[in-house]
Amino acid sequence: MVLGKIAKLAATATIGPGDGAITRATKVSTLIGLFSTDAVISYDIAGLGARSLNGRDEIRESAAGGFASVKSLSVRFQDATAQVGADQQSAVVSCTVRVSAGDSQDFGIQELRVQFQKRDGDWRITRVETVKTLQ
Amino acid sequence: MPPATSAPNGFGAEATQIIVCSQLWADLRFNLVVQDMNIPAARPGWLQIVLIGRRPAATLVRIVVLVALCLVTFKFVLLPIRVEGISMEPTYHDRRVDCINRLAYWRYEPQRGDVVAIRFSDPGRFSTPRAMLLKRIIGLPGESVAFHDGHAYINGQLLDEPYLKFSCDWEHEPIQCGPDQYYFVGDNRSMPFDLHMQGRAERGRIIGKVLR
Repeated sequence: MVLGKIAKLAATATIGPGDGAITRATKVSTLIGLFSTDAVISYDIAGLGARSLNGRDEIRESAAGGFASVKSLSVRFQDATAQVGADQQSAVVSCTVRVSAGDSQDFGIQELRVQFQKRDGDWRITRVETVKTLQ
Repeated sequence: MPPATSAPNGFGAEATQIIVCSQLWADLRFNLVVQDMNIPAARPGWLQIVLIGRRPAATLVRIVVLVALCLVTFKFVLLPIRVEGISMEPTYHDRRVDCINRLAYWRYEPQRGDVVAIRFSDPGRFSTPRAMLLKRIIGLPGESVAFHDGHAYINGQLLDEPYLKFSCDWEHEPIQCGPDQYYFVGDNRSMPFDLHMQGRAERGRIIGKVLR
């Protein structure tokens, strides 16, 4: 179930070159729906530095800006493993995300930890953080 | 009074049964011979011989064994990889195909200078990760690694690295490896220090050694 959400996250964040403004806006809404209202995205990526997005509004703004600025975007989660808490109300997914933009063969790859909590009977992402593979 | 099932020759019922069975086998052999005489022997065509051999059952067994051998070899022993990125230039070029020997460190510990594959997230002990880092070990457990004027120093001693071909200007304070940590870095040190993924990781993250 949780891994299904991760797959949905990847599918939603992936944009084809033929996707228009309406499709992109719809994808932003769908993407935001996967997060809890108090979700936090915290990342520290080489070349970009450390930053965090707090709450759905900031995530929505970043997603909308990012979706509008690229011709296409490919997001893939690989090697995902989920650990569900004993209370069955929380889960942590460790995975590797691979992102490439446009027709470029260049890509970014990053280890991620995604925390889920069950809210109103549905799994929502409460925290996404990058993991430094090499410290 | 003798039993009703006894044969006249005194061998009993068992002997009779044996005779019957022999007759059955004789009939069977006879029938087979008759069939062979009536139907011309179907010789396999050249295409059949090329594709499945003269004995299809044996060919099938060979294929099953070969597939099983390949699966085990290329999943648990030699892991095929394709290098993507430039951090290991010029030793390993972008899009080069190679193999990771997963048994390289079965009996021996990783050595300085080894080029190894490092796992990102752990997909499980026996799972094969789809994405890995390819880096060279320059620091061993307990050692400190520093960069000065583009050269690596291990415990304050200059490290001889003949595999480096590009100029480098890296400067960094000593980083201490833990008792189970190795220091990994790529060969392309012409990249800025901050953009080059490098650093320490535990022994358990090492998947294996690059074959060549």
